[in-house]
Amino acid sequence: MRIVHYVNQFYAGLGGEDAASLGPRVLDGPVGPGRLLQQLLGDEHPIVATVVCGDDHAASDPTVSTQLYEMVRAAGGELLIAGPAFGSGRYGLVCARLAATAQAAGLPALATMHPDNPGIGDAGAAPVVASGAVAKDMRPTLVRVAAAVAKLATGATLTAADGLVAGVARIGRLVEDRAAKRAVELVLRRLGGDRESTEVPVGGFDAVVPAAPVDKVASASVALVTEGAVVPLGNPDRLESARATRWLRYPIDGVDALVSGTWESVAGGFATTLANADPNRLLPLDAARALERDGAIGHLHGEFLTTVGNGTPVATAKRFGVEWAAELRKAGVQAAILTAT
Amino acid sequence: MSVLRRVAHEVRSVELGSATRYDQHHLVVGRGQVEALFIDPALAGVCPQLASPGEPVRIITPLDVVEPRSKGHGGGMFPGWLAPINRKRGPDTHILRGAAVLAAGYLPRNQEGLIDMSGPAAPLSPFSRTHNIVIEFEPAEGAALLEAEQAVRRGLLRLAVHLADAAVATTPDAVEELAPPHRPGPPTGGLPRVGVITNLQTQGAFKDVFVYGRSMAGSLPTLFDPAEIEDGAVVAGQYGHPALRNPTYLHQNHPVIAELRARDGQDLHFAGVVLCPEPVEQAGKEHVSQHAAWLCQAAGFDAVIVTKEGAGNADNDLGMKVDALETAGLTAVALYAEMSGSDGTGPPLVAGPRHGAVVSTGNYDQRIKLPAVDRALGGERLRIIDAEASAAIEVPVAMILAALSPLGAGRLTCRPDLPPNSSLEGLKGIA
Repeated sequence: MRIVHYVNQFYAGLGGEDAASLGPRVLDGPVGPGRLLQQLLGDEHPIVATVVCGDDHAASDPTVSTQLYEMVRAAGGELLIAGPAFGSGRYGLVCARLAATAQAAGLPALATMHPDNPGIGDAGAAPVVASGAVAKDMRPTLVRVAAAVAKLATGATLTAADGLVAGVARIGRLVEDRAAKRAVELVLRRLGGDRESTEVPVGGFDAVVPAAPVDKVASASVALVTEGAVVPLGNPDRLESARATRWLRYPIDGVDALVSGTWESVAGGFATTLANADPNRLLPLDAARALERDGAIGHLHGEFLTTVGNGTPVATAKRFGVEWAAELRKAGVQAAILTAT
Repeated sequence: MSVLRRVAHEVRSVELGSATRYDQHHLVVGRGQVEALFIDPALAGVCPQLASPGEPVRIITPLDVVEPRSKGHGGGMFPGWLAPINRKRGPDTHILRGAAVLAAGYLPRNQEGLIDMSGPAAPLSPFSRTHNIVIEFEPAEGAALLEAEQAVRRGLLRLAVHLADAAVATTPDAVEELAPPHRPGPPTGGLPRVGVITNLQTQGAFKDVFVYGRSMAGSLPTLFDPAEIEDGAVVAGQYGHPALRNPTYLHQNHPVIAELRARDGQDLHFAGVVLCPEPVEQAGKEHVSQHAAWLCQAAGFDAVIVTKEGAGNADNDLGMKVDALETAGLTAVALYAEMSGSDGTGPPLVAGPRHGAVVSTGNYDQRIKLPAVDRALGGERLRIIDAEASAAIEVPVAMILAALSPLGAGRLTCRPDLPPNSSLEGLKGIA
């Protein structure tokens, strides 16, 4: 099979975070990890081209995946391999979206990333093969990917034994006993010495490692972002009040403060009366402008990003986080203040 | 603590008529009497409607739901609302089993929900199985909506007592004794002492739960006589997340208390009930979680089932409390709804415990297709999905009232071992 490989700017050797805004491009043959992958694949499955894009450019705009897919198609690929993205959120999101786009258009595709990568939910119908968590897991990951390709080439489908990340779907269903009765039974089992039983796995929550302090805040570009559903009065773009499926952006260049009656919160999870009387208390534009005037921060980013956190699934919120990071980095922002409700 | 008797009168059919009466399982609701019970400066008027199990009827924007109950001639139901707290506590509570009174309509922060009386959503809401007297209301011109809400709540409680009063003199279908919790100290014959902590949402106007008529915000967790809950000491005024609400009806029929009583003396001793607020700030959550754990320890509990109301904020309360209990050496189990996305593949909990165990009450995000209905009550449109109230719609389970009951009233759970395309419709066989 003729393979087209997708990697980000870093693995293509085009630069690190400084080059994350690079637009899409095609390179001949295997590049970076593609060279090792080519050795493992052997002559039967040549990597004919490598498609590359900067993480910020690709992750901040979902339509880029269509553009990338067209480049894969034009390069004559019969199979797309995207990644490995390991635990990298932006890279993983782009690999997943591109693989989903290709698979949906009829081009077989395979993405590879760590099972906890926030992008994994966007892979659609494309198979995802598990990678390690970090780049030092490159070789074992590529060995697994090469074996998966060999299997796909025979027309077989991948299974968990091949490293396929089967999205474990927890599906709601009705059972005989109501939850209160099951709770009493579970507590009695635990008292009887069974410390493992539970209907939902316990623990395993992410701990977010704080970013390093901003170097030279006085010259930094700072953005305001919120999950408090701040929108123009009347909610012209129909942001949800609960269970967000998307986020929005609004310009604040030249705006000194959020005037009551011009902006509002449409969040459904808390009493918005006080927030709507002074929307700056949700999105602190007035205070940020004062800091900007005093020179405490360099520059306030020209737009704010907004969504609603109320009832929004963790997986969706993680994806918004990845998209916001890409979007803000692309815009040259060094710091963001996220106000939550 | 007193021994209570539930004197149950089953309602099997209901109609609107000129005067309220109950006879032979048939309830007639006096229209004019209902209207009079809701007279209040904050209300322009109310319109009683009926919705019974199996009918092609949808109730949208439901507010609170109350079970009709009466203490008979002595009164005393709903202390703090309709009775003083230092009332004479009569032992008999007359219940119209199978009936419910509920209000439906627009209020700020009433996150839009629904009850379908038939179809695939019917097995999911406890209020698809009750004969419902639905109160549509219109706030008075210029009235503050908070005052209208209080008027509706007060009216619902009055109506609940008014209807049950009609059955007091009739022959009951069942008389059930409700044993009080065991006091700490006496030997239990080796049976573990198991209690329940019920967190009440305390987030201000339209998101508050009342104990003896007052918000529990700012309170410490307190040991509470379940006989008082039986008499309606806990009244809901909380209109967030429809599927994750605990309407008054479910406090009156607290499922965990009922299940603990059902096993009392067999494989556990029912140890008692703790009510606890859900503070909105981190320090408050830490404060009440730790205190609740020590309170349960001091009260001699060996194990605790912990329940919540709401999502997100409330999930943190639940997790912190379970961790505090387990750290104090008690065994704890929490009831959580999962929020794993519509396909069920996302992380199931927003914030959960690090210790203990969890019972699942279903997935908030799972979608369900509902057919069109003949009649809708409570409003014309579902604004959150921009649809006619009676139309065929597809909604998340999150919108179905008490479908993910944090008090454990429902029979939903989530399993990782089902095919990903399993729909709720396909699984209702055991409804």
